[in-house]
Amino acid sequence: MTELVEMNMIQALNNALDIHMHRESNAIIMGEDIGGFGGVFRVTEGLQQKYGPDRVFDTPLAETGIVGSAIGMALAGLQPIVEIQFADFVFPAFDQIVSEAAKYRYRSGGQYSIKMVIRMPYGGGIRGGHYHSQSPEAYFAHTPGLRVVIPSGPYQAKGLLLAALNCPDPVIFLEPKKIYRSLKAHVPEAYYAIPLEKATVVREGRDTTLVAYGAMMEVAREAVLLAEGEGYDIELIDLLSILPYDFKTVVTSVEKTGRLVVIQEAPRTCGFAAELLAEVQERAFTRLQAPLQRVTGFDTPFPYTLEDHYLPRVERVLDVLTKTIEY
Amino acid sequence: MSEERTLTLGGAIHEALHQEMERDSTVIIMGEDIVGGAGSDEPGAEDSWGGPMGITRGLVGKFGRERVRDTPISEAGFIGAAIGAAVTGLRPVAALMFVDFFGIPMDQIYNQGAKLRYMFGGKAKVPVVIRALIGAGVNAAAQHSQTLYSIFTHIPGLKVAVPSTPYDAKGLMCAAIRDDDPVFFLEHKTLLGQKGHVPEEPYIVPLGQALVRREGSDVTVVAIAKMVEVALAAAEELAAEGVNVEVVDPRTLSPLDTRTILESVEKTGRLIIVDEDTPRCSLATDIAALAADEAFYSLEAPIKRVTAPHTPVPFSPTLEAAYIPSKAQVAATIREVMSA
Repeated sequence: MTELVEMNMIQALNNALDIHMHRESNAIIMGEDIGGFGGVFRVTEGLQQKYGPDRVFDTPLAETGIVGSAIGMALAGLQPIVEIQFADFVFPAFDQIVSEAAKYRYRSGGQYSIKMVIRMPYGGGIRGGHYHSQSPEAYFAHTPGLRVVIPSGPYQAKGLLLAALNCPDPVIFLEPKKIYRSLKAHVPEAYYAIPLEKATVVREGRDTTLVAYGAMMEVAREAVLLAEGEGYDIELIDLLSILPYDFKTVVTSVEKTGRLVVIQEAPRTCGFAAELLAEVQERAFTRLQAPLQRVTGFDTPFPYTLEDHYLPRVERVLDVLTKTIEY
Repeated sequence: MSEERTLTLGGAIHEALHQEMERDSTVIIMGEDIVGGAGSDEPGAEDSWGGPMGITRGLVGKFGRERVRDTPISEAGFIGAAIGAAVTGLRPVAALMFVDFFGIPMDQIYNQGAKLRYMFGGKAKVPVVIRALIGAGVNAAAQHSQTLYSIFTHIPGLKVAVPSTPYDAKGLMCAAIRDDDPVFFLEHKTLLGQKGHVPEEPYIVPLGQALVRREGSDVTVVAIAKMVEVALAAAEELAAEGVNVEVVDPRTLSPLDTRTILESVEKTGRLIIVDEDTPRCSLATDIAALAADEAFYSLEAPIKRVTAPHTPVPFSPTLEAAYIPSKAQVAATIREVMSA
């Protein structure tokens, strides 16, 4: 039996990278300050010492170049694991990701695949201000050819990263930095993978379905507990994969509860919550008993002073849950 | 009175640019080959191209090289320069050529242009228009055929215009140039030759106002850009079967005229969105989510989306034809929701 070790998400991700680097000699890690320094959040700490500067190396501050050269390496047989320091900085590399990496297999008639994971910390809640707090998952989810994965805790982070590293597609791996160190869990020390495209029913309930992902799972858990205190029985789903995503688990749940609330910290319009609402209303229409609801960030840039109001808070979620159930 | 004055959609955009440049000396236009003939000494070579669709041809002769500027093939550079020019007092209209190239200046668009007003507490304004060609249907493959407006609509701080007629193209372009926020002005390449009535004098089609293109009582079809004519053709087909289809053209996607859409759905009880963009996290899903929330009580059938599949745009003409939402698909979907 495998041993369980208490880890935070940083340690779990580091552990996953270590396991994969040990197993796959083609894997390399690259990004800004990820070598001797171990990355600004220390996710790659100790890996350069262990695997050497040929396999774990610093890049210039040039995201277009980082992702572009990683695509070239993937085509030539390496498996690049790229760190973008903050998700907010991925935009200079956007063309490389959405026009090249995402389309390579299709454009080459299936002859080439880009087996590459691009990791990036995303999201608010750390007083990071405007350029260190955004949640860009919908841009990637809109792009055919990419996978988008978002873990919600240390256990999920390790298992999903190992699954992503095994996947032949380019994977955008978004790490909720707010809970990088605040959540601890008992994580198996050995290799394990959590299947991509599979959501988890975290708690069964009958009054409404609540779906969240990433750091919003923490808010969701709290809201579910408070709602329980008021006599409501909420079914909570952790989506884990944003694209492709497990609509079946969500639809099955809504067919039972007749109600749906989705939390997302990104701006509302054309976000991922809308995607779930659209899909669920079509597939579970005859079972619906209340309007489908989104609790989201606002259609504004990410605010520094108003951060607490911008991010979906427990009170907002609870309010929407109550209204949905009482509808 | 003489015959109704008509222009092509491309001609309407040209006229709007021309008239706005005459009206306001701070309006400049810039982009790759929007003049053309660079590096050639041939007489008449200058102004030979006017952009890939010829829309800006002739403007350099009238307004000169200072106001009509060819740029290097460097989207991050010239979109960044246009944003800077806008912040410092000009009203640039920058042509990105194909919208598919947006990824290169994406940081300038997303992290700079869209946010400067907010970051400066309302003290900066960014009156820039970014023109780009959208749409499949000309066998231009995965990197010259996308629509992508859903990406820009998700970005707070941007406005997005998608004209479907020459009249709207001129009015929306005039509105976009006079607007103090960054506006993406998206031109469907298969609509540029479409002719329609365009008044000669300058006029505004306000950003954020949808138009009911066809009134009906049985089902609402919201259609974007090129899809408006597809939806109207399907509506005609269904009229022969006794189904009364209402077609709503949002005209701008951000801000979106949610009131017109919701009022229509409340009347008809049925909603279909026809969207050429890829389906995930798209306008189609957003409009469906809006109605699933705010028009819940009126809905008599599931909201359906007719979109491109979640794949890159294919090069093969056969596959491309299957990729673009068709009149037959829209008509079949209308029949489906009418029998639900």
